[in-house]
Parts: sequence; C-alpha cells; structure tokens
Amino acid sequence: MISADAKRRLTDWFHQWRTPLRRFLVGRAGVRAADVEDVAQEVFLRLMRYEKGELVDHPQAYLYKVAANVATEWSIRARNRLPHDQKWLAYLIDREQPESQLVRSQSEDEIERALNTLTPYQREVLKLYFVEQKSYAEISVQLGESVRSVTRQFRKSYDKLRRELDPEVLGAMTHGRD
Amino acid sequence: MDATERRNRAAGEAADWFARLQAGDMERAEREQFVEWLRESHVHVAEMLRVAQIHGALERFQRWVHISTGPKTDADNVVQLHSPQDAHLTERLSPRHTRRKGAGLRVFAVAATVLLIVASILVLPLFRGQVIETDRGERREVVLADGSLLQVDPETRLRVKYSDSVRRVFLERGRALFHVAKNPSRPFLVQADDTTVRAVGTAFGVEQLLQGVIVTVAEGKVAVFPTSRAATAAVQNADVPRPEGPDNPDDIHGPGAGTRAHSGDEASPAISSSGKVVQGSNRPATQIHAAGEVLLTANQQVMVQSSGLAEAVREIDSQRALAWARGRLIFQNDQLGQAIAEFNRYNHVQLTVTDPELAAKPVSGVFNAAEPEAFIAFLQSVTDIEIVRDGDRSITIGSVRHR
Repeated sequence: MISADAKRRLTDWFHQWRTPLRRFLVGRAGVRAADVEDVAQEVFLRLMRYEKGELVDHPQAYLYKVAANVATEWSIRARNRLPHDQKWLAYLIDREQPESQLVRSQSEDEIERALNTLTPYQREVLKLYFVEQKSYAEISVQLGESVRSVTRQFRKSYDKLRRELDPEVLGAMTHGRD
Repeated sequence: MDATERRNRAAGEAADWFARLQAGDMERAEREQFVEWLRESHVHVAEMLRVAQIHGALERFQRWVHISTGPKTDADNVVQLHSPQDAHLTERLSPRHTRRKGAGLRVFAVAATVLLIVASILVLPLFRGQVIETDRGERREVVLADGSLLQVDPETRLRVKYSDSVRRVFLERGRALFHVAKNPSRPFLVQADDTTVRAVGTAFGVEQLLQGVIVTVAEGKVAVFPTSRAATAAVQNADVPRPEGPDNPDDIHGPGAGTRAHSGDEASPAISSSGKVVQGSNRPATQIHAAGEVLLTANQQVMVQSSGLAEAVREIDSQRALAWARGRLIFQNDQLGQAIAEFNRYNHVQLTVTDPELAAKPVSGVFNAAEPEAFIAFLQSVTDIEIVRDGDRSITIGSVRHR
C-alpha cells in the first residue's frame, strides 16, 4: 500500500507535470502528437540515467517529474527562440478563446463517443471513479468484485479509449481548459 | 512485429500498468517490473504519458451525466487474446517477470497459453521467427522464451527462430549484446551476414557493420565460423554441443599464414583453432575455412570482414568494448565525423559537421550516448567551434571563421 504521504506527493507531481506539458503542447497546435513522442524520447533517456533502485519507490512520480522537467525546458527553449509565439501562447492560456471553446466542445463530443464504445459496465466503473471519486477498493466493495477485477476493467477501458481517441483531439481535451 | 503492432502492445501494457498503479497496492517487486518495462523503450514512456492524458481528459470530462451505465455482462469477462498484458505474452517474452497472483487470471493465462500453442502449431510452417526491430534513438532489452536476454542497440533488426534443438538469432543489421541462458543441448547461434557465432551459455556482443562483423565476448566462450558451415553444423550437431577444438587444425591459419596484414596498432595474440593463444608478431589475418572456426574467450574480440577474412583475435577490455550496450560511447582517437554518426544513432537530435577538416579531427573520451549536448560542451571546451541550432532536431557544428 502506498502511504498517504507518497500518494499526495505523487498527485502533486502529477499536477506539476501537467501544467508545463500543457503549456508546451498548446503552443504547438499542429504537431502535438509528435511532441509527446519527442518528450517521451527525452524522458526515456533521462530515466536510463537513474539507478533502478532510485526509481522503484515512486516510479510514476519520477516519470511525471522527469516529463515535467523536459516539458518546462522545452517551453523555455521555445520561448527564447520564438518570442512572438510565446505572446500568442500566453494569450491562449490566459483567456478562454472562442476557438478553444469550440475545440473543447468537439472534444467533449469525441470523448463521449469514445466512452460509448465501452461496455455499460466499464462506464459504470469509470463513473464511480471519476464522478463519485471512489477508490478502486471502494468500487470493488460496491460492485462485489475483487480489486483485481476492477483494475482489469480500468485497464480494458484505458486501452480501448487509447485506440479510439485521436491523439490530436486528446491533446486539446487534456489541455484545452484551465 | 511491426511498428503498429508494437505500439498497440505498448499501449495495452501502459493501460495495465496505469490501472495497477491507480489501484495503489503495488508491491516492490511489481514496481521494479514497472521500472524495467518503462526503461525498455521510449515507446513505453510515450504510451504511459498518453494513458495519463486519457486519465486527465476523463477527469475534466463534463458530460458524465449523459453517460449511461449497466451491469456486468459476459462481454466484461472476456479476456481478449490479442490483449498485450495478458499473462501468456508477458511470460513468453519475459520469464523473469513473476506470474501474477490470482486464480482467475491464472486460469485465463493457461487457457490463453493453450490457445497460443495450438495457434503456433498451426502457423509454424509459415512462421519466419519473432522480429525485434529498433528505431533510431531506441534501445530495448528483450527476454527470449528460454530466458536469454538481448540488449538491442538502436537501428537494429533481429529475427529469432527457436526450435527444440537449436536457438537461432539472425542479426540483420545493427548490434546486440546476448546474455545466453545456459543449455548445452540447445546451442545458441547468432548469424550475422556470412558469419555465425555459437554459444552455449555466455555473454557476447555482435555488431554488423559495413566493413564486417565484430564479435566481442564478455563471459564464457563462443565459436565464430562461416555461416555456410553453420547451416549444416547446426543440424548435424544440434543435440550434441560441439567439442571445443579442431577437427582439422589446418583450417585456421596460424601466424604468418594469412595474406592480409592487420592494421591494428596494439600487439595482440591470435587464437589458433586449437583454442591456444598464439602470439603473433605480425598479426596476420585468419581465413575462416569451411570447417574452421575461431574460438573466443572473455575479453577477446574478432572482426570478420565482409570478404570472410577474420582479422587476428584481439585482447580487449570487454567492459569498454561493449559499453554501447550500457548507453556509453567510447572514442579513442576516432574521427569526429564518426563520433557524431554514433551520437545520431542514439538520439532524435541530429548533429552535423560541415567542415571536413573538423570532421577528421580525432576525439577521445567516454560519453553518455543520450547526451549529445554534453558532447558538444566537451568539444567547445577543447576546440573552437561554432554551434548553429535549427529547431529542436538539428545542430550544426562548424569551424570558427577567423577574420
């Protein structure tokens, strides 16, 4: 069981990571899918530099932390090189532009479509987690299943959604708001 | 396995890891597996970030009220055979990965394995072997069905073909380090170009280069011989490991017998076919004849030229000579142009040298293959160069023009 403290740190890191990555990705609307690949490439190479033992305690947190660092560095580099783009980027992030609301609404449509390709039961499991904010353990109690079986439903749902969702749209969905 | 298939498999594995991490009851051994998996490929990292993206998108999704739900049906119990993280695949590829607990899953795993065996029997005659392929900038570790571990360098393509009597790997391009699981009754053969390397249980690297094939031994012993012979030998000797030593001592020419002078600069012994070290003063090349073989032990290296001519066996420090398998690049008076070509194989950022004179300059040192920037910083510290960056992907190194 991960301690509460470790869990909190993990969540913190996750959020820390998301913002710079979002900033970075939003600024380059046309090439988002490729950028995640590049960020991943760099993250991968950096992960190789750590001792395995160091990573094992909080692997996910390390992953997000490293990804956050890479994304921040890249956005700084991009800013230095392309000051005008940066202005535009800041504008885009600060205000909710009509276009981005349109993108947002298209994204909602897209994710709704993708969710409807899951089985009703998988949607039930996801709703308990994302709407009712229940943990896997709580969901398993409510549905009378093992945690493992609940985990499997999540795995199948993520896998299916990954195949259904266009990475470009996914970028807009993850990063279109705030 | 083609790129799409590999990508899909990675996506499924990422989904599995993400869900397991969210479940929050991961033991240390499982986290170790996760780290190992993550460090196997940048594709794994990318897919993990993508699942995190999906998770983030679901957190922000605002129309959950429109989403209908329902009870569990039979469809929810189905374990898809092609689904990547099912136990059978994990076990096939990675025997070191511990079997997941849980009776339910084990039943599925057994069922899936049975199906898989049936499937492989049916397609066996058509089966051309498992293909392992890496792109530029991608390194992978792969555990084969028998427990042998392959560390695969970027831009490498291997085909793995196992039968009951022999384990065969075809190195079509690039290089790989092989940690062979010991099994005397089932020799391990690596074929690169017209050269074959045979091992029983050992660790060695094979590099397929333009000018030939380099075999470097880290542990144990291997035999290097021409492929034409391997084809027959593998069949004939499949069940009996070949005794070390020659059937015909004349097959490998001793010192002085070769016709081609070796261009190396350090004195190094040649190995005769009897396995004894022969000190060669003039370091002759060795012709590998149809029935001949060169035996190598730890810290020895041989280069077999494309012509089939084996250069004299060299004593090397295998730690250094195989450093590429650990993501280290070692240069010893290598030309800058070549050093840069090496870096480019490991990275998305591509370096170019414009000035031929600069490209010919010798470079020495140990570098992390993943850090071209550190290499550039090193160059800047030792010589006057001009760096021009074009986007994130391209760095041009030029000479400083003195006015």
